[in-house]
Amino acid sequence: MNIKCNSSPTVITRQISTSFFYRYRSRLAAFGFAAPLIVYLLLFYVSPLVQNVSMSLHRYTRRTFVTGDAPFTGLDVYREVVSSSEFWVTLGQTLVFVFASIAVQYALGLALAVFFNQNFRLSGFLRGIFLVPWLLPPMVSGTTWQWMMDADNGILNRFLGLFGVGPVWWLQADNSLWAVIIANIWLGIPFNLVILYSGLQNINGDLYEAASIDGCNGWQRFWRITFPLLRPVTLITLMLGFVYTLKTVDIIWLMTQGTGTSQTLATWAYALAFAKGSHMTIQYSEASVIGTILILVALVFAFVYLWAQKREEEA
Amino acid sequence: MNNVKIMKALASVSALALCSGLSACGSKSAQDDKTLTFLDGYSQYNEDTPWAKAIRECAPDGYTVERLLQDETLSPLTTSVREDNAPDISMIDVTVLPTVVDAGMVVDLEAAGVDTTGFYDSIIDSGKVDGVQYGISYGINTLGLYYKPDILEKAGVDPASITDWDSLNAAIGKVVDAGYKGITFSGIATEEGVFQYLPWFWGAGGDLSKPDSQAAQDARDLLAGWVSKGWAPKSSTTNNQSAAWDVFLSGDYGFSEMGSWQAKSASENGYKILSIPSKNGGEGAPVPAGGEFLVLPYHKTANDAKQKAAAEFVNCMTDTNLLAVAEAAGYLASKEDVRQQQFEDEPYMKEWEDPAEHAQGRTTKLGIKYESVSSGFAQKLQSALNGK
Repeated sequence: MNIKCNSSPTVITRQISTSFFYRYRSRLAAFGFAAPLIVYLLLFYVSPLVQNVSMSLHRYTRRTFVTGDAPFTGLDVYREVVSSSEFWVTLGQTLVFVFASIAVQYALGLALAVFFNQNFRLSGFLRGIFLVPWLLPPMVSGTTWQWMMDADNGILNRFLGLFGVGPVWWLQADNSLWAVIIANIWLGIPFNLVILYSGLQNINGDLYEAASIDGCNGWQRFWRITFPLLRPVTLITLMLGFVYTLKTVDIIWLMTQGTGTSQTLATWAYALAFAKGSHMTIQYSEASVIGTILILVALVFAFVYLWAQKREEEA
Repeated sequence: MNNVKIMKALASVSALALCSGLSACGSKSAQDDKTLTFLDGYSQYNEDTPWAKAIRECAPDGYTVERLLQDETLSPLTTSVREDNAPDISMIDVTVLPTVVDAGMVVDLEAAGVDTTGFYDSIIDSGKVDGVQYGISYGINTLGLYYKPDILEKAGVDPASITDWDSLNAAIGKVVDAGYKGITFSGIATEEGVFQYLPWFWGAGGDLSKPDSQAAQDARDLLAGWVSKGWAPKSSTTNNQSAAWDVFLSGDYGFSEMGSWQAKSASENGYKILSIPSKNGGEGAPVPAGGEFLVLPYHKTANDAKQKAAAEFVNCMTDTNLLAVAEAAGYLASKEDVRQQQFEDEPYMKEWEDPAEHAQGRTTKLGIKYESVSSGFAQKLQSALNGK
């Protein structure tokens, strides 16, 4: 009796509380598990993005940056940047930089991946060596490329001299875009090699066997089997390569400080945002505008990728 | 070298931004009332160097001075003043003083208790904006023409014959004809390259308020001519000053336009110094005064006791301990009596006496407008050196 009397009220209250939590328990738990991720995303992804867009809509100078009362200007700064001829020239250079880099990186990366996929002796070791550009700090590789491309004493010009080719002024204003593209291609090959190589590993060897029984030569095997089956991997490689290349500052800055034709949207934004290079006046708003435009361009290509991937899955 | 600086600056700026965003980096707790923080741009000097020692000696009674090392101090200073997290004392490049004052990032030194008497006029003028003393310095550096006497002798060039641009060109030509290389300078498209361009601009009669003058063109033509003739390395377009000096040291170059901060290394190598000639001869070309100034950053939450201690620290750096500070930095001391003492300690600095006395401030006349003049110079010089 005693026990019953005492326990009944607690049972009731517990029932009430459990029914409340019971109804939302799974949802709360889900939220609890997602919370760290959401906080992380808000703190490190959303807030800088919002900050960036906000800066591009206000007119920031060093003074208003410090005092925090930059006037709201709407899309004025966008209009100024987009209407300058420098923007369009730089955009053109950026596109050349990105597409030339990616195309050659991908082609060479794929050729090397196919080559190493034959698993000959030492192939693992040689593949490892090809990763070196990826492992070196950009500081080191950028400076080394600058030395190699030195017009007077660089090793590249000495090498060309062996074939009777006159010295090239690699980092001269007109040539500098191609100079940084060459360095960037070298830098990007390992990434393409690694991803495409792992894609090749997933292709069933029986297919090649069947194809050779059917009398396909190596060239046909590549175009009829390897290339089509590699398409999903190709898509992601090109997509990631695009984003990486679009935002490249380090290697370009180390080699040329973005002078001449080697100025891309990313190096331009860096120069304006930190008053570097020949931009002694800090231009936060203009830099944010270019940053926002870069994000939009990357987003467009991300959607293209998603669309292509969806089509791939449906096919 | 510059590249390391860029990457470090980037890293520190992002770290600062992160810290201020989270406001949880614990810098406040470390900043107790008896520690003065000093934003120090000489990150190459570790705690065992004379520079660090001179700073320790200048800590006011009861205080310790903590060095916050940055290669580039302007960005961290801007962010920290905004977040009310500024250091108690900061070092800044002399050319950025106008923008720092314009942004309200520093306070009036005299009002804070810094003694500004006894300095060279050029130091006082460079540290003043709109008549208020915001910055003060322990010393300046400036530019001259280093040469290797043995190479000149073998090429049959008498250094005394170099008095104007024509005789300089003739001398470089002779050196090159004798199988050596000509001259190195820094033509990088930054303020550093402009710093090296100014003696030629001023030497041709240029005036910073008329940046599009014939003098600007003449100076560009001179430097671009050296590159196109192969007298100066093509890498001059991207070399900063330390890279240009490295090229001079490692190659058979006869001449180098370089700063007084290399005086010690030059004298050890047996190199000599000439004043940079003016276009048409006569007195040497006016040279720019370079270097860093000490400022007291603005704090939204004022702490008078700490500011007084910070002012005391600045007084020590620029007066009581001036000789040690200037020698540690490799600069020409900012007060006449101390500079004379310095010449006794370091005889090789004596050659810089005359250029230093005639060194001009870059922002003295133009103030914050110098920024756009410098940017324009940098871009046009870069095009000219690239043969465009």
